[in-house]
Amino acid sequence: MARQDTLIFGCSALGHEVAMQLSERGIQVYLYSNNLDEVGGLLAKGLQAAVIDYTDDEKLMGIGIGKWVKTIFCLFSEEPKNLFLTLSARALDPDLKIICVAESIESSERLRAAGATKVIDPYEISGQRVHEMIARPYLVEMLENTVFGKHIDIAEIEIPDSSVLAGMALSDLELNKKYDLIVIGVVDLELSNQLIFTNSGVDHRLDAGDILVVIGGKQEIERLRQGVSAAGEP
Amino acid sequence: MSFAQKIIKYCYTLEGSSRYKGLKGGVYNLLQNPRAPIRPYFDIFMILLVLLSVWLLIYEVKHDLGLWGDLIEVGAVTIFIIEYLLRFWLYNDSHKVIIERYERAEFINETFRLGPALYSAVIGKLRYMVQPLAIIDLLAIIPSYRPLRFLRIFLLFRLFKLFRYTRSISEFVKVLSEKRIELVTLFIFMAFITFTAATAIFFFEAEHDGGQIDGFFDSVYWALVTMSTVGYGDITPQTTEGRVISLVLIIAGLGVISFFTSIIVSAFGEKIHEIRAHRVFSEVERKQVDTLVCGFGRVGQVVADRLSEDKRSFVVVDPLEENIRLAKQRGYLAVMGNGEDNSLLVSMGIDTRINRLLCLTGDDVVNVYITLIARQMNPEIEIISRANHRENVNKLYRAGASHCVAPYEVFGLIAAEYAGQPVAFEAVYGLLTRQTSEGIEAVRIKRDSSLAGKQMGEIDFLARKLIPFGIIRDGCCDPEVDNSCFNLNERCFYFNPGERFTLQANDLLVLIGHEYSVIHLRDCLERGEL
Repeated sequence: MARQDTLIFGCSALGHEVAMQLSERGIQVYLYSNNLDEVGGLLAKGLQAAVIDYTDDEKLMGIGIGKWVKTIFCLFSEEPKNLFLTLSARALDPDLKIICVAESIESSERLRAAGATKVIDPYEISGQRVHEMIARPYLVEMLENTVFGKHIDIAEIEIPDSSVLAGMALSDLELNKKYDLIVIGVVDLELSNQLIFTNSGVDHRLDAGDILVVIGGKQEIERLRQGVSAAGEP
Repeated sequence: MSFAQKIIKYCYTLEGSSRYKGLKGGVYNLLQNPRAPIRPYFDIFMILLVLLSVWLLIYEVKHDLGLWGDLIEVGAVTIFIIEYLLRFWLYNDSHKVIIERYERAEFINETFRLGPALYSAVIGKLRYMVQPLAIIDLLAIIPSYRPLRFLRIFLLFRLFKLFRYTRSISEFVKVLSEKRIELVTLFIFMAFITFTAATAIFFFEAEHDGGQIDGFFDSVYWALVTMSTVGYGDITPQTTEGRVISLVLIIAGLGVISFFTSIIVSAFGEKIHEIRAHRVFSEVERKQVDTLVCGFGRVGQVVADRLSEDKRSFVVVDPLEENIRLAKQRGYLAVMGNGEDNSLLVSMGIDTRINRLLCLTGDDVVNVYITLIARQMNPEIEIISRANHRENVNKLYRAGASHCVAPYEVFGLIAAEYAGQPVAFEAVYGLLTRQTSEGIEAVRIKRDSSLAGKQMGEIDFLARKLIPFGIIRDGCCDPEVDNSCFNLNERCFYFNPGERFTLQANDLLVLIGHEYSVIHLRDCLERGEL
């Protein structure tokens, strides 16, 4: 079985919100909690939820952690639960993508140390958003209506083995003239997972396996995807 | 024209005169308006004048003042007299009292009589004269009149004039006056003990019995000195009976003193927050703070830190002492209180100075409530509210919020994007939140800018290490014609403008690039070197 599944632990408001967002993107999610009442509430809303004792490694393996599960979200409202789950899951699967919620800077550090791939602090982010609204109202309005408003998407496009783009320099692509989109940069996973910006002055030579990061309309991105895969002129 | 008619005509002239009103307004600003910018200077001047005149008074005891001293004294007294008369004049409008009387008489068709009208005008002014502070002012002046030199001790009343000019003294008096009942009880208790002890000691220790008490005044003096635990020892009880009375009085005195102390301490304990809040209010006013942050939880803290990095002024309101302490540690202006408190918002100047309100508490009910009352008090204010639950976003907008931020929704959005395409998302998220040095920035094209009228293709953005992202322009556009433009609120965003896109004055050019590149571009534009 391909590693596909996404599991959410913790069925609070936050878990519900993430489940909704992922469902909107067409990703199938399963919610788990040790609290029967919360699970019941989500089942009533039509989501797939189940009760689990997350402290038992056998049970975690039973639902696919270490086997076919690709991503888990630790969204319990209590930090110790998240920490415990992160440690257990990381021990079961070193490659698992673990995304955690944290409510303070210290707790983010602890979760990262326990093996979380990504720690997101909703309050920190909200605070930043509020500040952006004050400092740069026009930009925020623009971004809310475009990037966050789903008119414009952010996408990563992997360059396949046979692509014509392989071997070309980043500055020679001129994709924003051929397509109506903007190439932000490229990530060469062989070097590091840092993004090399198009404007950084480093003229990166593309090879297969590199990931292009682009912003643009859905159709244009789809067009680029096909163009990149095609063996001919993009 | 009779005398009465002349007076009435004069009153109406005053009422209609803008010069008279302007003059009175000016005097009001100088003497009474606590918000007038000139007030602090006037107060300091008067405090110095009072201190100088009292110093002269002390100096005069042993030295001769000389000509200069006399001149200063005369000058100070003149200023005090002028001040007194101005306050007397400012207290109420006598001409309005007369006009009101006259109009009422006209209305009910009665003959107007000058006598009663003048009488009520005089009564109004008398009401001023019997106010405690007005009496102090008068007593500070009168003894300077030679024939009344014997009242010189009243010159000390000049010190009491300081009440008018310093806020902390008047706050002290206000705090004590709120404990009136306790203080009166204590005073009665004290008077009772003093009287009893004084009578008893007078009875046992009178001089002809071998004691030291000479008259009832001595016994009251002894009783108070003993009770207050001062105990000079100039009068001491000689008889056993007298000593027993002393013992009882000393113990009662301890009670009185501790009672008194506890009243004062508790009065200040209860009031200290208010006094601190007042300090902050005046600070808020002085610094012209325009942003009010309600709620200093995690979100509030992040916002406040960022605002202070931007050197923007703001004031924090939070009901928790812990949060207020944290805010003060970081050097922010903070007041302990509830954002729902109407009067607190008004003291902050929600309807005048404040033009941005951030409702960031963890309770949606509170956020909606604050949003609603703030919007009612000020239709112009920008309100950014936090919605902790998805379903409350609409309620906040209906209550009058300009923008809403929902932490869980933002989290969901980010988590979902991250789960799908982590690499792209990490990069773009960094751009959007300016966590990396590369960022997305907007540059305004000014009217006389060299860029206005140029085509995008003519500008080599890449050489400047910038990526053009789009243009924000005032007005509307038609997404049907051009499918990469988007309508915003009264503005239009053109995504990825082509080479032939012509820039106009007042456009906002949105760029992705290193902050230095953007600063450099702005600099070049400013100097017209592009």
